[in-house]
Amino acid sequence: MVSKNVVIMKKIYSKILFAFVICELLLSAASCTKDILEQEPTVNLGASSFWKTEDDATYALMGAYSAVRGLFDRDYYFDGQGEFFRTRSSSNSTTSGNINLGGAYRGGSYAPAPGNGSGFDAMYQFLYGGVNRTNYVIENVNKMLLVARPASVANLEAIIGEARLLRGMVYFRLISLWGDVPYFSKIINENSEISDIARMPITQIKDSIMADFTYAFEKLPVKATQIGRASKPAALAFRGKFQLYWACWNKNGWPELDTFTSNATAATEAYKAAAADFKAVIENYGLNLFRNGEPGDWGTMGNAEVLPNYYYMFIPSTGNPNTEGEMIMVFTHGGTGSGQSEELMRDFAGRSHEGSQLWVMPRFEIANRYQSTVTGDFCTPLIPMSSNTAGRAALNSAVNPQSYANRDYRMKATIMWDYEMSKGLSGLAETGWRPFIYKTWAAAVNINGNIYTSYDITSSAATTGIVFRKFLRNYAGLARSEGDYNWPVMRLADVYLMYAEASNEAYGPQADAIALVNKIRHRGNLPALAASKTASKDVFFSAIEQERIIELFGEGQRPFDLRRWRAIERVFGAPYSNGIVRQDTNGGNQVFYFKNASELGYQQCYIFKIPQAERERNPNLTQNKPWM
Amino acid sequence: MKKKRWIFQFRRIPCLKQIFRIMKLTSFLLFVMFCQVSATVFSQNNGQLSLKAEQKTISGILQLIEDQSDYSFMYNSNNIDVNRKADINYNGKSIEEVLDILFKGTNVKYRSFNSNYVLYTDDNSVVPAGQMQQAKSVSGKIIDFSGQALPGVTVVVKGTTNGTITDPEGKYSLSQIPANSILVFSFVGMKTQEIQVADKPIINVTMEEDAIGIEEVVAVGYGTQKKANLTGSVSAVKIDDKIASRSLTNVSSGLQGLLPGLAINQNSGMAGKNDVTMLIRGLGTVNNANPLVVVDGMPDVDINRLNMNDIESVSVLKDATSSAVYGSRAANGVILITTKSGKGTNKPRLNISSSYAVGVPTQSIDFMDDYARALTIQNIATSTTTKRPDLTYKDGSIDQWLALGMIDPLQYPNTDWWDVMVRNSTVQNHNVSASSSNEKSNFFISVGVMDEKGLQINNNYSLYNARFNYDYKIRKNINVGIKFNGNWSKVDFANGEGFNDASGFGFKFGDAASGVLPYDPETGNYGGAMAYNETTSLYNPYSIYNNQLNRQNRQEANTSMYLDWSPVKGLSARVDYALSYYNQFRYYAPIPNTLYNFQTGSYTPYSPVAKNAGISNYTNTGYKTQLNGRLEYQTTFAKHHNLSALFVYSEEYWYDRYQASSRLDRIHPTLSEIDAALPDTQTANGNSSTEGLQSYIGRINYSAFDKYLFEVNFRYDGSSKFLSGSRFGFFPSASAGWRFTEENFINPHTRNWLSSGKLRASYGGLGNNSGIGRYQQQEILAQSNYNTNGNTAKGFTYRQMVNKNLSWESTYVFNLGLDLGFLNNHLTAEIDYYDRFTTGMLRPSDLSTHLTGAYDAPYKNIGDLRNRGIEGNLIWKGSKGDFAYSINLNASYNATRLEKWNEFLNKGNVFLDMPYYFVYSYEAIGIAQTWEDVYKATPQGASPGDILLKDLNGDGQITAEDKKAYSQIQRSRPTTNYAVNFNANWKGFDMTILLQGTAGRKDFWLTNWNSTNIQSYLYPSSWDHWSNPWSWSNRNGAWPRLDGSNLNEYESTFWLDDMSYVRLKNVQLGYTLPNNLVKKLRIDNVRFYISGENLATFTKFRGIDPEKNTNADDAYPLVKSFAFGVNIGI
Repeated sequence: MVSKNVVIMKKIYSKILFAFVICELLLSAASCTKDILEQEPTVNLGASSFWKTEDDATYALMGAYSAVRGLFDRDYYFDGQGEFFRTRSSSNSTTSGNINLGGAYRGGSYAPAPGNGSGFDAMYQFLYGGVNRTNYVIENVNKMLLVARPASVANLEAIIGEARLLRGMVYFRLISLWGDVPYFSKIINENSEISDIARMPITQIKDSIMADFTYAFEKLPVKATQIGRASKPAALAFRGKFQLYWACWNKNGWPELDTFTSNATAATEAYKAAAADFKAVIENYGLNLFRNGEPGDWGTMGNAEVLPNYYYMFIPSTGNPNTEGEMIMVFTHGGTGSGQSEELMRDFAGRSHEGSQLWVMPRFEIANRYQSTVTGDFCTPLIPMSSNTAGRAALNSAVNPQSYANRDYRMKATIMWDYEMSKGLSGLAETGWRPFIYKTWAAAVNINGNIYTSYDITSSAATTGIVFRKFLRNYAGLARSEGDYNWPVMRLADVYLMYAEASNEAYGPQADAIALVNKIRHRGNLPALAASKTASKDVFFSAIEQERIIELFGEGQRPFDLRRWRAIERVFGAPYSNGIVRQDTNGGNQVFYFKNASELGYQQCYIFKIPQAERERNPNLTQNKPWM
Repeated sequence: MKKKRWIFQFRRIPCLKQIFRIMKLTSFLLFVMFCQVSATVFSQNNGQLSLKAEQKTISGILQLIEDQSDYSFMYNSNNIDVNRKADINYNGKSIEEVLDILFKGTNVKYRSFNSNYVLYTDDNSVVPAGQMQQAKSVSGKIIDFSGQALPGVTVVVKGTTNGTITDPEGKYSLSQIPANSILVFSFVGMKTQEIQVADKPIINVTMEEDAIGIEEVVAVGYGTQKKANLTGSVSAVKIDDKIASRSLTNVSSGLQGLLPGLAINQNSGMAGKNDVTMLIRGLGTVNNANPLVVVDGMPDVDINRLNMNDIESVSVLKDATSSAVYGSRAANGVILITTKSGKGTNKPRLNISSSYAVGVPTQSIDFMDDYARALTIQNIATSTTTKRPDLTYKDGSIDQWLALGMIDPLQYPNTDWWDVMVRNSTVQNHNVSASSSNEKSNFFISVGVMDEKGLQINNNYSLYNARFNYDYKIRKNINVGIKFNGNWSKVDFANGEGFNDASGFGFKFGDAASGVLPYDPETGNYGGAMAYNETTSLYNPYSIYNNQLNRQNRQEANTSMYLDWSPVKGLSARVDYALSYYNQFRYYAPIPNTLYNFQTGSYTPYSPVAKNAGISNYTNTGYKTQLNGRLEYQTTFAKHHNLSALFVYSEEYWYDRYQASSRLDRIHPTLSEIDAALPDTQTANGNSSTEGLQSYIGRINYSAFDKYLFEVNFRYDGSSKFLSGSRFGFFPSASAGWRFTEENFINPHTRNWLSSGKLRASYGGLGNNSGIGRYQQQEILAQSNYNTNGNTAKGFTYRQMVNKNLSWESTYVFNLGLDLGFLNNHLTAEIDYYDRFTTGMLRPSDLSTHLTGAYDAPYKNIGDLRNRGIEGNLIWKGSKGDFAYSINLNASYNATRLEKWNEFLNKGNVFLDMPYYFVYSYEAIGIAQTWEDVYKATPQGASPGDILLKDLNGDGQITAEDKKAYSQIQRSRPTTNYAVNFNANWKGFDMTILLQGTAGRKDFWLTNWNSTNIQSYLYPSSWDHWSNPWSWSNRNGAWPRLDGSNLNEYESTFWLDDMSYVRLKNVQLGYTLPNNLVKKLRIDNVRFYISGENLATFTKFRGIDPEKNTNADDAYPLVKSFAFGVNIGI
């Protein structure tokens, strides 16, 4: 019995043993596949395999370019804060949180209205995104530099130079909008490193920005290695521009920024330094205006087969090669499917152009700023009239195309008034010439015996009577959000005008400065400035301002100029005045800006609001006075 | 057929129930299943026995066989000499050979039911002689609820051991019994009945299902458990013909109202995309709060792709103990689905079911098919800010439309877009299944097709399902099996949400203008904008729904295999391997078209689809594998102590990939493949991701005296989502139960009215890792490319900060439950209270604005959410004669409270110590009738006709500070769900009524359909816009004036509606043809039925449907449907 039991027990135990062996096998199979808990990412690069080669430094720099591009490439929205440009909305035309699709511009107040320094939280946030991205490159490449082979040093230093130029541009923008801001120049690894950061006075930040631009100037190549990257003259031009702004703040004051005291001496010094930098840009690098600054051909009224040179300057195929060097620094964009396209078409054109939405348009009043090619001075102001037979024929009528004859060539290249044509685009194909006729949308119209379908846009969108030609594509093949334009962040024309301004402030009207302004006027086929326009510092300043308005229209300069010149009151009227009125070519759609606006409203245009949400997190982050 | 008289007495304990309790669970289950369907006795048996013993009693030998096999024996020891000793030495003999040898030369005979053998003799001598004097004979037939003959029912003369068992036709006969005796009819799972014999020679009995059979078994994780022994909180439902017969297009809505604690919400009637959400016990986390669905042991199966007809039962595991074995995934509860098998269906069966349903919307929009009026409304609205001469539409245009619209519908259409877009829906359901089993194997196969034509034109959905479940006993103690399900679906739709697209782009039904002609069949043109001054980009919905369709198909294959082996009694080992694979393909190939202006006879400039229309393909594919190894041991010691232990090792792996490509310019609109488009402009995207999960699971059950029940669980999980070091989470739980009615000091006092009672309590932790992405915890560089020289230049940025300590989100659940059965379980009640506390919710940490432009916030374990609630389930079952009925009332209440949050919370719908997403509303005074009303109120820019808001904080202005928080009212979910189920049977007729309702939710009714600030160029006008807005001539208007103050569209109490509703969800009437009629056709049963869904809704909500989420654009109603169907069993 006993032995039998033992046998049975043995049998049972062997079975149990077998069961456990099976389970053990399972478990050990599991331990073989212990990697099941180590899953590597499939599309993104693991950080551990980065920062090994020189190429990695370039890749990181490209990442920084990509992050900084989106902080500047829709600056035209800012123009909406000026008097000649309407930005309908920055929220419907941008994609929230997406730096490549205008995310930085979202939510801002882009109207010439009191208190328009609010709503720029996204801009603030993404500007600091740019700070972090550039810091990431600078710190890591600096580390590489410590152990780099001598042959690599120049390239690595140039990479640091580019990153420092970008960082300088970002901090420059930050302080010109918000004044004092938190400053940091290292990689942040933990929120706690920065959670209680305080604002640094601009007098301190200034030195860092200057150091960045100077380093970039020293290390960058004379000519950019690739289109889309920076070069020595770009660094120098930005250093000049920064000093020009610094001079303006010191000359004109910045009362809204209570930590800042203006200083006339510092202003003069800065104007001089700026003028010197600009002069170096102009003279030392063999740069020339696009197509030698020649005006090109006006073409004929109502046609667009041929357009003045100014128009072609922005078209990638003609302006891109940049052999003359007008485009000192551009941010490039890819086309279809690149994920880094611009949406200029979507913003600047109507439905007839790949279903675009006309989020921005010139105000009718800009037309009066284009001077006569005959007199070189302003023309009789256009008269808004109804689009009837009488209005079409009346002298100086805003709806009579002939009223626009013999004016600055840049007008033809920049705006379209009634009966101006542009290439219709739909389904990536050309759909023939589309005449723009205000309030006659998508209608069949007979012009000189030919039937055309007119420009199309929802009538609630077009409210001024004119639309843009500048930045409007004249070639098919790309959808409205797949643009491949290069966005200019520094143009030689701007440098000429900034030089003229800086030297004028420092030394009064100078012959070389007048010559440069006249070079730019020549682009519009305008005669040289009359002697009366250069007789004094003030009148020459006005001539420079006039050129800036026309030459840089839609490039996001105007409101920055108005702020640094403290000219908002000059342009829009004093507090509690009637402000200004804007209307369309028919005399309708009147809107009033700054009517009965309070002083506070103006102050809130001169300095922007520090994001309130961040202030709630960080009590050390103080608010600008007008926003408290 | 010779009638046999069986006389027997059960060995050990003379109680059938307890015999079953002692039997092994598996054989028990087999037997239960066998009993519940009609069965014929069969006696062949291929199980091989090997026994050896010397001079052992017959009873000992039988015991030995029982111990070593699944067989069990019943016999009357008075009748059969089991003390006789015999030698045995059998090797590889079948049970029947063994029995034949054992009882050779005796009068002992046997019959078997599955693996249960009844030993009997033909000898009547045991019947007491004294009772034979008035003896008489009784016979009859026993049928079940549905009229099926019931074999195997025990019929005993009360107080004696004299009895029999019904034959395969459900017939029995007893002779020579006293006339005054009482017959006791009993059957597992059925209510025992006692009937006085009196003079009746024939006694036919309809057995009723026991309210809750004390032996009822429910599926729990990795096994089954007797309901009586449950200590956790589990609700279960068996899917019968009546549930499967409903004309539903998905399984989850079929569960609505059936299970307390499981809240189901259908958000749309859209075919193929009806957006059903399931929540167990409220919103458990702000991350993925969906319950885990486990089908036949396989997690992650899409419940809505199952065929309802394949499902046998559904269990909902609600507390920590019951769901602990799925711990890391089960924080939001588990829905366990068991599909049918062939077990017990020893007669091959073929089931055919078919139904056809027609549906209409539960509610429609009263679209204004009168363009002249729509333009007038537009002008009235614009007039508030515009001078009359500047109005967009001139009176002339309007008058012209009014007049010519009556005679020229082509050039002056007045389209009712709702009529154009909405049709009657149809749903067809056809299923065929077959099943059978024998001693060694069983199978269930089925194919099903569901075809739905949605309420909206060109919104169609079809789902095909095939299933094969098969088990085979390859050795006495080794089983293998496979379950395979393949399904294939096809859905066509124009817009993601039917009438709109959640992405915010594209067409919204709210943009439809009645002045657009849908389509002119003569010229084949789709109408566009025609009125003077009208925007040219007016939509033509008909063109969109014909030319811009997305077509999506998806195939899934879910397979699982197992091998289970019991080397010795009580110990079993099992290996499962499951593989599920899916492939989803969507393509979009819009047909080019340009809208037409019939007035001018020319095309408008608006082309909804340009000539160069392309083709886009989207492919999602992936698989999931799972390997489980399981060891289980069960034992009984010291007679009354049962112990079982389970250990599982599990490994799960996911792999998903996505690929999309597109080209522009198809060479012809009829072609829709990538190669049929020009290669000039093309895009391609693709990515993949993987995830791994490794788990160790343990469970110990212990019960003593069937009164004291204990369970301990643990689960130890590692996920590839977390970094090594914080990777594993340990989630233990424990529970206890007390069947207090089994106590001798309680039972005598309560047994008259309380048939059973149990108190349960459990507490434990569960994990959740759904709040974080697969690679979110890894230091990776993101692509961020730039462009140089016109080419893409590779760029990388470091954007993912990592919190190295991030680990599992945990949920702790305390559950207290009480199960009661009254009046012999006629009435049963289950009541549960729970407190579910989710802590360390995975949330992005608060990151400075100075970093968020560059970095994604690293996640932190932060954020606590508490859910407390009660659930009740009451069932009453009763019968009177042929009439049997049951009523089930279930209700649940849940309150959620956010206790901790990661970031600064602005005043809004989410706040600490409040329900997640509560009502935060302005208080409306009402519509200002006069300027006096306006002046009396706080200045808020109102005019008469505007809604006036209350200045709650009294600061003289209306700001966000004037909003009031309603701490008890949730906006997105009801707090209370309840349902009443009524079932009745009478002579072949059956009826089911399901009433379902919710309470505790309020939301704002602010949609395109009641917006008074109407869009300036698009006119989604309804007739309500004509009659409801306030005006000086309509001062009783229910709505504020057109284009009034912006405050009119604020979320104020003016628009706040109580979303409570009671809905007549389902009514079903069926008739089963009499047995004798169908028998002639060689058919087992035939049932015809009619069924209606969503027949009536009672609510105060003014919008489309109170069950839907409120969405300003969404207008897809739910379906009210009427179905006719038939079930046939052969």
